[in-house]
Amino acid sequence: MARAWIEALLAAGVTPATFVPDASLGRFDQEPVERAAADVMEDAELATHAVPEAAPAVAVAFLDGIQQWRVVGYDGVVPIVRAYVAAAVRRRGADRRLRTAFEDSREFAVAPLAALGREQRAALEAHMDVVDLPDLPPSQPGPVLEAARRAVDGARQTLERALAERALRALGEREWLIVDGLLSVSGKLAAHPRALGVIKSFGTQFFEGDALRRALTLPHGHRSSVFRARGGHARNDVYSWYLRLWPWEGNDLLFGLLRIEARAAAETLAAAGAVSAWLLRERAPVSTPDARWDRLLYPIHEVETYLRSRAPRDFLPASGSRLPRTGT
Amino acid sequence: MIDKTRPAPIGRVVATELKPATPHQFHFWTAVETSIGIGAIVKVEEGPERVVYGVVTDGFAYSDLQTPLHDVVGAEGDPVRAAESPTVRQEIRLWTAAVLRQVPEEPLQPVPLARVFVATDADVAQALRMDAYLTGAQPTGIPVGLYTSGGLEAPVYLDADFLLGPEAAHLNLSGVSGLATKTSAVEFLLGSIFQHFPRHKGKVAAVCFNVKGPDLCFLDQPGELGDEDRRRYERLGIAPRPFERVRYFAPFKGDGVNLNTLRTHPELVGDVQPLVWGLAEVLDFAEVLLNRDDIDAKADAFIDFLADRVLNRDFDDPLAGRHRVQTFADLDRLFRSIFDALETSGRSDMWRTHHIATIRKVRNRLSNVSTRCKGLVTDDGPSSDLPWGAFEDRSVYVVDIANVDPLGQDLVFARVVSRLREGLERRELGVDAVVVFVDELNKYAPADGPETYVKKMLLDISERGRYLGLVLFGAEQFRSQVHRRVVGNAGSQIYGRMDMDELATPAYQVLSPATKIKLATLPVGELMVRHPHFTQPIFVRFPRPPVLRGRDGVERFAPAADLPFADAVARQLMRLDRTVRPNTVRDLVEGRDEQDVRRALAETRRRRPDDVLAYFRKVLGSRVAPDAARERAAVPPLGAITDEPY
Repeated sequence: MARAWIEALLAAGVTPATFVPDASLGRFDQEPVERAAADVMEDAELATHAVPEAAPAVAVAFLDGIQQWRVVGYDGVVPIVRAYVAAAVRRRGADRRLRTAFEDSREFAVAPLAALGREQRAALEAHMDVVDLPDLPPSQPGPVLEAARRAVDGARQTLERALAERALRALGEREWLIVDGLLSVSGKLAAHPRALGVIKSFGTQFFEGDALRRALTLPHGHRSSVFRARGGHARNDVYSWYLRLWPWEGNDLLFGLLRIEARAAAETLAAAGAVSAWLLRERAPVSTPDARWDRLLYPIHEVETYLRSRAPRDFLPASGSRLPRTGT
Repeated sequence: MIDKTRPAPIGRVVATELKPATPHQFHFWTAVETSIGIGAIVKVEEGPERVVYGVVTDGFAYSDLQTPLHDVVGAEGDPVRAAESPTVRQEIRLWTAAVLRQVPEEPLQPVPLARVFVATDADVAQALRMDAYLTGAQPTGIPVGLYTSGGLEAPVYLDADFLLGPEAAHLNLSGVSGLATKTSAVEFLLGSIFQHFPRHKGKVAAVCFNVKGPDLCFLDQPGELGDEDRRRYERLGIAPRPFERVRYFAPFKGDGVNLNTLRTHPELVGDVQPLVWGLAEVLDFAEVLLNRDDIDAKADAFIDFLADRVLNRDFDDPLAGRHRVQTFADLDRLFRSIFDALETSGRSDMWRTHHIATIRKVRNRLSNVSTRCKGLVTDDGPSSDLPWGAFEDRSVYVVDIANVDPLGQDLVFARVVSRLREGLERRELGVDAVVVFVDELNKYAPADGPETYVKKMLLDISERGRYLGLVLFGAEQFRSQVHRRVVGNAGSQIYGRMDMDELATPAYQVLSPATKIKLATLPVGELMVRHPHFTQPIFVRFPRPPVLRGRDGVERFAPAADLPFADAVARQLMRLDRTVRPNTVRDLVEGRDEQDVRRALAETRRRRPDDVLAYFRKVLGSRVAPDAARERAAVPPLGAITDEPY
């Protein structure tokens, strides 16, 4: 299908391109740096709690998504982007192996339609699902590509959210759903008693002073008090806490540090210790060779690997060329 | 019966830059839990018009673990914790397969990246090109075992044209001892040949040399078979029954009356015929008996002189007198006459251009033969031999030389095989093809060592036997220790469990490491088969042979103790005539020279008269004449061993 619409574009006068931006091969994994307020719910002030060692095995499904995009042509100086997003929920069975329960994907084009020539726009809209980038002033390709990245990111989040909500409906009585990223982006997710968000990035600062120090210097195998996250880009109310999977001393302050999101309810306060305990067990196996292995749970890594194995191969940089990559 | 049930796909061909699919090899993955393994035959299908058959030669399992250190980190150095991780790593079962056949054969292309299926019965026949000889008006398939993998089981056939000639021939079996590789496989295969050898190809018989223990002594006795064995026989279309026509031959022991075999139980010994040869039989093969240093031109010339001018002729010599040499005893008398005459005359050390030292050397060696091979070679009296010219279709002739001196074994082997060759050449053996089974081939045709007559003869069979119908089934523990032209000329090869040191030799370089490991750990009853129609080795299972194993045979039919001379004579006469009374025989032989008794017994055995006792009594009273002089047919010379490629 991709070949057909690209050929239609080329026939309409678009100049072919094969630029694969660095950010296009993975998710944009940085939350915008911002400050947010937090109310400590478990203790009088943010404290540290040792996570109990013993943790029973629980039935869990894991959700993750991927996005890939590349510039396939230029109409003058306006880039036309081809994008692919996919998400999957893989359920862990009694044999400790993951099997796909749900998956979905979407392939589409991204371009500022208003900036395209009439023929080129017609060719694009005739052959492809297009996400428009409106209100972009004429510029060099850089701002357009940044806007395209955000559009692809949004499409991926939408797909993940929809899939998560499908998965919640099919979740077993004692089964949990772990989502890679924010739980608060979906009202249904945020309200579910057995949904957890696992956040690996720390763009949002919830605390200051001693509380911040305690939160970010948690010892290995400890968690913080549960707090209510307010502000930031949390759209729905959730409880949250920090959990240290690996010793950070000698590495980096954020090494092995996760922030967990769960339903804003009293039950979460009671369950935080036990949940932290079985999350701690998810450290092994380590998700190497991913550079984020200290924070990336292996099942999430496996879902990502699964999705990449099923993604169209022509999004990747051509392996035949031994020349250095170039591009905008 | 061909099972056409179509299985579900079990894998998919994958190819990378480092591991591409080629026209002769491909890689595929399967689920972690899969029924296939090394040796499994698989089918790759790209639509109905392109099919590739392959056999699995190697297997790999790996996970997404980048380095073992990461596993240690994840488990914090504790193996117990490693096993407790809530998720197991993604892992793969990747297999390498060698292409057996591509359909269509042309154009020959890399294997398509398509679905992989376990082969069905019909696929196995296609993959191994068995369809060429299992179908048609005159099929020539000989069942060799069952290919089993993934719950499927398919009979595998050898092509009689390539097993017994004329297209190719000979079978070589390798394997460590005691694991049902060699003897059991040959017993099973001979049974299969006898039941499936196509009638249009003529008559076939087998001559088996029993060179150790009781291995081949009970081929006519039923062995124990389990239900699984019977099921396999049924699947192969072979009736599980012992050989119907088996004839046993064994030389005597030193006493000349007790048979030198483990088949001496009273119920069975009656089937064993003595194997006794005289001077005429031995002199044709003097080269076998004399070691390489002995065979100088002078000795050779003197032996030729004896054979051409003296043996079985009225020989009149001015010096030695008149002689008619038909036995070793006659020959010795001639020698003594020559020595006496030369000593008396004191004229010269030469007799008829032969130096006395040469004559003495030949005399020593020949008398040594009758000493070392006492019981096989008779000094005097008639011989007893295989039924040359009267071989019967689908019969086994077992020559038991297990307890014979190595020199005697060589003699038996050389003479029997040479006579078989002569008989087949002249089409007067009685059958059209003969399978000769020789165990311990590394002893008779070693890769290095002296050029013996036996070795030359084995080379001759290997290289030219297929045109005659003389087929060598050779077995050995270590194939690398057998002359390369003997094993190289074997069209079919069977391997049982192998020794790892042996597998490390260059002869096995073509096998993958996994195949070698499988060979080194093969269970009892499983074999690897190579055959001209199969482009890759195939593993098969075969049922236990339906005959009594040697070990069990000597327990069930315990060998009888040697009888006193008179009783042994009586037993042999009773074999000819059950009414003969032992006491009568004892009285007859009482006080008689044992040599005279042996001669009389041999003559009686040879003549098989109606009144056995009367005839024995009659010939015992007079000197028994040796066999009538036969026309001496020189054995065609064998070529020297050269390094020319086969």
